[in-house]
Amino acid sequence: MATFLDARTLPAGTTLSPDLAIIGGGPAGISLALALAQSGFSILLLESGGLHFERKIQDLYDGERTGVAYVPLDGGRLRFLGGSTNHWGGYCRPLDAIDFEKRGWVPHSGWPFGQDALAPYYPRAQSLVEAGPWLYDKAAPVAAAQGAPLPLAEGGLYTSWFQFSKTRGGVLPTYFGHRYENDLKRAAHVTPCLHASVTGIRLSHDARHVDHLDVATLAGNRFTVKPRFVVLACGGMENARLLLVSNDVMTTGIGNANDLVGRFFADNPIPRDVGTLVVFSGQLAPYYGNSMAMDANGPVLRAVFSPRADFARARRVVGSLTTVENPVKLDPLGVAAVEATAEALGVDASNARAWSLGCGMEMLPDPDRRLTLTDERDALGLPRLKLAMSIPDSDFTNYNLTLAELGRQLLAARVGMVRINHHARDQWLAAMDWGNHHLGTTRMSEDPKQGVVDANSQVHGVANLYVAGSSVFPTYGSSNPTLNLLALTLRLGDRLREVMA
Amino acid sequence: MNRRAILGGGAAAVAALAAGAAWRFTHLFGYRPTPYDDLLNQIVDRVPAAALGKVARTAKPGFDDPRALASVLRQPGFTLAGRAPRDAAEGRVVEVSGWILPETVAAYAALAARYS
Repeated sequence: MATFLDARTLPAGTTLSPDLAIIGGGPAGISLALALAQSGFSILLLESGGLHFERKIQDLYDGERTGVAYVPLDGGRLRFLGGSTNHWGGYCRPLDAIDFEKRGWVPHSGWPFGQDALAPYYPRAQSLVEAGPWLYDKAAPVAAAQGAPLPLAEGGLYTSWFQFSKTRGGVLPTYFGHRYENDLKRAAHVTPCLHASVTGIRLSHDARHVDHLDVATLAGNRFTVKPRFVVLACGGMENARLLLVSNDVMTTGIGNANDLVGRFFADNPIPRDVGTLVVFSGQLAPYYGNSMAMDANGPVLRAVFSPRADFARARRVVGSLTTVENPVKLDPLGVAAVEATAEALGVDASNARAWSLGCGMEMLPDPDRRLTLTDERDALGLPRLKLAMSIPDSDFTNYNLTLAELGRQLLAARVGMVRINHHARDQWLAAMDWGNHHLGTTRMSEDPKQGVVDANSQVHGVANLYVAGSSVFPTYGSSNPTLNLLALTLRLGDRLREVMA
Repeated sequence: MNRRAILGGGAAAVAALAAGAAWRFTHLFGYRPTPYDDLLNQIVDRVPAAALGKVARTAKPGFDDPRALASVLRQPGFTLAGRAPRDAAEGRVVEVSGWILPETVAAYAALAARYS
């Protein structure tokens, strides 16, 4: 079994010439390297960090924030082998078909292809995250042994399911670096190179293709990689940063002729205590509140409430996944509302119980929510990032329409009620948390004026440069991105097999 | 403490409990007459309805006007037990202090709040 290459041991002036250089050893980079390991192409996987967290490497991620309070730029991602899977929660769910559509009420929406284009890649992605059999919207029969789902009357929401990444032995979740370290070492044509930070993507004079990569280590080594093809796979913030700082030929940055790189930054907001759920019977299956294994070796599931596509179209709402969180005690008005309503509905609420609701939301694309470069430089001399973060009130009011529909469906089924807890902006912002899902900064579109990469994830106009990861998502959905970016990366792998041959 | 004081304290406590129970379970003994008893008598326990109604009165135009409310609620088929269970299925819900309620429940509660 081979060992990893340590860039700190490479002599100055070294030039490596692989067929493919993958920049970034996170879930996308590792999965792509393994997907192409049998292709016969030589693959160099460049990872800025090592096998474990190092403060000085992590500091390369630091940056500024303006606008709405957001996670520190070095806090929501990790810079060592495995990337941000080293702290992910393991939540998996495929994007919905509607997430790919051009939605008239969602500006800048529409992927260049539909969900069907990713469908062939989901099984392998599911295997990579080790989330068990593909169940999701068909998980209810599997979960039935733990209790029946809440019956919802006909309407806009339905019970959907998260599945969870689970490594062998049942430890949650799959840390890609740790899990696939030996697979990378065993892959004959893959050379993982640690502590190798790419500091520039250098184009040919005509800007039509990548000529070479400048690579550096914090120890001072500098060397060159001259690959035939390059895939940028270092996350939704760093992908944009590397394109922007590589401005020696294209002065506004690679792929940025139309000022799109870094724009449309998004995350999945996960505000807490968005609502209160009352169940008249007091009975709620445990898989609502917690992820739980269905049996010792079975899938780990959690039920959520998701809007149906026809409801989203009719009410002009976007994606959301409403979760049941912690038991709560009702105030006197809440008790009165439950008693009066249950009496009128003719149901017994003497054992009623209440839970807080949380949610994961989809943001509307916004070109002004963006990453730009600052004058401050990191230890390798690269300009740091500044994030201008925002979230409009319409994202909140939009979600409350969905929550009200959930309440209506529970009432119509005579099983429970919902209270909407946040209305004012300050209430929402006080409850705000973020998924640390960095999305959209190198968005995909067939039109170079609307996107940084095309439908094959190739940077417009640069023949041998591709981008992997959720930075290419033109709209975001409310599902956690890892499973989906893996499917997209595996699709890119097939494309690379064709073009590199 | 002498015997008289103990008996007096006990009697006061019993009286307070009885008063509280009488207030809480007024409906067991009957409510004060109102011009809308045909409607309010459909509510078994007016105490929670009235508490809810205090905030429901502003939930929708007309909810703060007993005559306007009564004119609606006295229409055929507007009984609380008959209409409230159908409200949500037929899309008639209203938000009251965040709570998503059948519109008829909120309307009756608003009326109850005026006469409690």
